Amino acid sequence: MHIPDGILPAQVCAAGYAITGLTTWYSLRQINRKPDPTAEIPKASLLTAAFFVASSIYIPVPPASVHLILNGLLGVVLGYFAFPAILIGLFFQALVIGHGGLTTLGVNAAMMGIPALLAYHIFQLRHVLGKPLPEPARTGLFAFLGGAVGLGLAALIFLALIIFNIPAELNAEAERAAVLALSVGHVPLAIVEGVFTAMLVLFLQRVKPELLEG
Amino acid sequence: MGAASFDTYVYRESMLHQWSPRLKLVSLAVLMFAFATVRQLALVPWMLGIAALLYGLSGLPLTFLWQRLSYPGLFILALVLVLPFTVGDTVVSQWGWLALRQEGLLATLLIVGRFLSILTLGFILLGTTPFLTLLQAMRSLGLPTILADMTLLSYRYLFEIAAMLATMQQSMRLRGFGQTRQRWLRVNSQTMQQLAMLAGNLLIRSYEQSERVYKAMRLRGYGYGVKPTREQSLPRQPSALSWGLTGAVVAAAVGLIVAEGFLRQ
Repeated sequence: MHIPDGILPAQVCAAGYAITGLTTWYSLRQINRKPDPTAEIPKASLLTAAFFVASSIYIPVPPASVHLILNGLLGVVLGYFAFPAILIGLFFQALVIGHGGLTTLGVNAAMMGIPALLAYHIFQLRHVLGKPLPEPARTGLFAFLGGAVGLGLAALIFLALIIFNIPAELNAEAERAAVLALSVGHVPLAIVEGVFTAMLVLFLQRVKPELLEG
Repeated sequence: MGAASFDTYVYRESMLHQWSPRLKLVSLAVLMFAFATVRQLALVPWMLGIAALLYGLSGLPLTFLWQRLSYPGLFILALVLVLPFTVGDTVVSQWGWLALRQEGLLATLLIVGRFLSILTLGFILLGTTPFLTLLQAMRSLGLPTILADMTLLSYRYLFEIAAMLATMQQSMRLRGFGQTRQRWLRVNSQTMQQLAMLAGNLLIRSYEQSERVYKAMRLRGYGYGVKPTREQSLPRQPSALSWGLTGAVVAAAVGLIVAEGFLRQ
């Protein structure tokens, strides 16, 4: 779910870089407000590499398989480090395997990263809105929402960008119908991603709870 | 991760290998954006020609490009199969219900042309510059320290963590994972749970390793604001060749943008 080079007009690519620049600046500002930001950098870096590697894990759904994006999970675990982590991961992918692109790096980072930051905030809401729920249902529910919303929103942005930018000759009504149909098609994927995120977060809560404190 | 070999051809001696990394990064980025502005089909051969010329000058073997095109090539295939038959009203040729449309065909040629040209430039950049030099160039162009450090550290441990995952997956298979038959179009919750634990274990191992890495880095002075010596911090002055290449590439980029503007009117 990366937009390759050559699809989007230069103005959209430039706008993507501008949004990514602003979001990176905001994320770095939040990171620098932490008591010891340098201590967090190696953790965030190795986890970035681990997420990049873990995104190659796929869920078998015979006769095919579902490829995980993990941007919601990244937000849940890394907090504000999620945005730089996604930017770096996408940079590696564009350079090494040509997945995504260098001109579309800004667009792709914003498309994946902003939903990841939203997922982080959704997961943090468990301390406020989730109080009536017992553990582990509370953590599981908010992790599910973070994972599902993270992927769902990224998929929606992806589809909208592709459909509104490729076939210029399609009429607006057909474009709206296509976005709607493809978005509905992504609902099962968002549910799978949400369930996977919830399972993983509950596992981390049992085994290494400090990983969820970011 | 099989295709992930960063520095395979970077130690050759072509003109592009000798190009100052900072100037190369800026020039190729400008050219990529100029390619992204192209909407006139007449400019596509020029764009492909410039990319091919630069690839020729880089001295990189065609196999380098070919291997890396296999993955994004799937995207081209999807585009070629869908766009020419779905977009536009002018039917060029009809086979039963399948109609080849002119607008879709032209849009496909344009997108594929831009895609191949930009991608080739990206691979020229990677193929002629060691990754760490590229990162240093980005750092000198204003990349924030946190981003530079994170990129460097992620790059350093990427292949190690990939090897760790491969070992863990092999161990799972040896213990019988993936042997049970699954029903079609069903997600097996037990399989998913096991995969979630696999990913979770990978995160935990990386996290624990990062604590050891951080302690080792602190012992070597990380985070104490040690500045590089004057010799280390001064970039080498770019050669006349570097300036020449930069001038030519930027002129080509400007030429394409101007031609695009003229042809659009």
